[in-house]
Amino acid sequence: MTATLVQQLINGLTVGSLYALMALGLTMVYGVLRVLHIAHAAVFTLGGYGGLAVYQATGSFWLALAGAMLAAVAAGLAMERWVYWPLLGKPPIATLIASIGLFIGLEELYRIVAGPEPYAFAVPLRLPEIRRGPLLVTPPQLLVMALTAGLLIALWLMLTRTALGLALRAASQDQEMAAACGMRVRGVVMANFAIGSALAGAAGMLVGIYYNSVSPTMGDVAGYKGLAIIVLGGLGSIPGTVLGALVIGLVETLVIGFVEFPLPRDAWAFLAMIAVFLARPQGLLGVK
Amino acid sequence: MPLLDVAGLTKRFAGVTALDDVSFTVAPGEILGLFGPNGAGKTTCFHCLSGFTLPDAGRIVFDGRPITGRAPHTLARLGIGRTFQIVKPFRGLSALDNVRVALGHTEYGGFGAIFRSWRTAAPRRAAQALLDRVGLAAAADRKAGLLPLGMLKRLEVARALALSPRLVLLDEPLGGLGPEEMAAIAALITGLRAEGLGIILVEHQMRVAMSIVERVVVLDHGVLIAEGTPEAIRRDRRVIEAYLGETPEEDAHAAGH
Amino acid sequence: MYLYTVATLVGIYCILTLGLNTITGIAGQISLGHAAFLGIGAYTAAILTVTYGWDFWPALVAACLAAGVAGALVGAAAIRVREDFLAITTMGINFVVVGVFLYFPFFGGSFGIGGIPSPRWFGGPLAKPGFLVLTLAGLVLALAVNLWLLRSWAGLALMATREDEDSARAAGVDVRRFKILAFSIGTALAGLAGSLYAHYLTFISAGDFGFPFSITILCMLVLGGIGTNRGAILGAVVLGVLPELFRPLADYRMLTYGAILLALMRWAPHGLVGDESWLWRILRRRAAA
Repeated sequence: MTATLVQQLINGLTVGSLYALMALGLTMVYGVLRVLHIAHAAVFTLGGYGGLAVYQATGSFWLALAGAMLAAVAAGLAMERWVYWPLLGKPPIATLIASIGLFIGLEELYRIVAGPEPYAFAVPLRLPEIRRGPLLVTPPQLLVMALTAGLLIALWLMLTRTALGLALRAASQDQEMAAACGMRVRGVVMANFAIGSALAGAAGMLVGIYYNSVSPTMGDVAGYKGLAIIVLGGLGSIPGTVLGALVIGLVETLVIGFVEFPLPRDAWAFLAMIAVFLARPQGLLGVK
Repeated sequence: MPLLDVAGLTKRFAGVTALDDVSFTVAPGEILGLFGPNGAGKTTCFHCLSGFTLPDAGRIVFDGRPITGRAPHTLARLGIGRTFQIVKPFRGLSALDNVRVALGHTEYGGFGAIFRSWRTAAPRRAAQALLDRVGLAAAADRKAGLLPLGMLKRLEVARALALSPRLVLLDEPLGGLGPEEMAAIAALITGLRAEGLGIILVEHQMRVAMSIVERVVVLDHGVLIAEGTPEAIRRDRRVIEAYLGETPEEDAHAAGH
Repeated sequence: MYLYTVATLVGIYCILTLGLNTITGIAGQISLGHAAFLGIGAYTAAILTVTYGWDFWPALVAACLAAGVAGALVGAAAIRVREDFLAITTMGINFVVVGVFLYFPFFGGSFGIGGIPSPRWFGGPLAKPGFLVLTLAGLVLALAVNLWLLRSWAGLALMATREDEDSARAAGVDVRRFKILAFSIGTALAGLAGSLYAHYLTFISAGDFGFPFSITILCMLVLGGIGTNRGAILGAVVLGVLPELFRPLADYRMLTYGAILLALMRWAPHGLVGDESWLWRILRRRAAA
């Protein structure tokens, strides 16, 4: 029984890591622009397709990862330039609707261009399988967790050690003040999108590999869940999002694994969100 | 019996004490000036008095009834009107409709609100009359979102008056106005006194403000540092020091530039 | 006949957009889960008539009530919550509701509910033309509700809430109560649409009421001109009829909706005939001349 529990914990952490990478971009954009970047899920999906395409062309995992992240960054910046920046002065509902339109439009575009059927994304991983007693960490899980950890550390270092990181944190506190302090707000906003999108692109590719499937609608679930996660963790809070992602990943996996409750996985994310929300409207680590 | 009795009002925000044991009273028909350098806690005080902020400690008694912590809409219906420092008009509605919203305060409490229409002669007349009072008669049908700041400030006053209030909290009603407009609003405020309204005025336009208030209360960093007539306050050393502590920009702002 | 189906469905869409207009257009509360309430109404009507043998009319009333009460609950949640949160919450509710319909056998699970009887009119089942009339009556009712609301003090309170909540409070509006009211009315109308939907199609399944359909309804409202009843109706008609006129378009439906939403927000946020839209201003000027 404990063995299964531990196993499910590993599974949950892996899933949670994927969610974290995906959701960070959302919370970062919200932190700086106060906008729900729903189209972020389409960036995520592009990472999946982009990574797959590069991998099929080159056979190299790292090149594929770079490709996925670059494609995602390009998409994110394009969105910033042509959708979010021009709509900045308008009421938030306009940006929200535009973002939704962008998302569903892009998903359909992927379907039209790449076809509705999922592609397989099989990557032979030269990673060990870790067995310690009842514990089993498969190579894909190892890959996901290691890469996520690596990216998160890189992000943390960037945010705390570099000038750009300082600017990002300042801008998410108060955009006006940041501008008054002479920071190029536009540059900061773009950097923000770029970083968040890069993470999502990586997430997209990793999800593709982990589930061995890249499809036009792969962004759906992650996208909606991403929103639930950032609300749960506290809108705009990066640590909160990571925590929220892990919590959701664990809760989902454990509930599905142990409880015969008939609700689908996705509904759980939203239920958890609604539950936390009623008790603590600012989220787990959010600021009121 | 005072119209408003504030005792020991205290409010803390994440480490900053915005209001520290503030006490004062307002009599009916009295204009009280609530002054102090920027960040003194004046707007926080207004938020507590109008129900937008829950004080951490203290008691507020309005016309004999304790009202601490009651909701803004309840206080509005009880007769406390307020304007906002940064104007908050109903931008998509006309000036006339802006006032009509406030006129409905007697309707919003019951089920009648669903059944009774606001597009009748009486509210229209009453709203028009209020706009006349603040000098906005000509702008009645213009969309509030398109009006200049000076007019929006006056619209806020009209909206507050539509509540048939007994206490009016005016948060920098003169800011951004030209000299004639300022004089007109000052006259309006003084006129309200004759109707028995109690008024608390927060202002930075010292010259005009000092000429209409009867009594002054000064806050600095949340603490009430002085209370008295305008003349006495003008000479009060602590008040002068508190204002001198402001930067040149703030001084200029206080002097009305 | 085919035309009756299109017309009836468009009529149902109109009721949906009018209900969403109450919530989002008049009261300014974002709701990205309107289809869930359509579903609640549809399932209520379906279960009551199929499993419990109720008559059409009582079931219709029950459908409106069920959806309205659910909406009141959402409205109550809306109180604590800022715009962005509300958007996600209503989205989440859509998913949870659909999930419930899908996974509990009581609702037919993934098989849905079929064999929903036609309403009876003077002893016989209602034929297509009759159903169209019924739907149009529903449309008129929805329109009447909105028009009445706009004239009432409650409607003024809602509009004030939409424009500026704090100012509304300072003017005596109990924002909480009115948010709940707006949601209840809008969702009750969706419940009405749900009953009509269920009885017309005679078969419903959870997938009909998902997030994509909520977006479709929103798109119709935004296209027409959010905040206006004429916009709600026009948007529903245009987007309801277009895929029928251009058959190939039907395949690219979601892409079109996405592109429309994006383009509208960027260049024409007031929609086709919204208050500040180019077209409406021209029409107004012509009428004044």
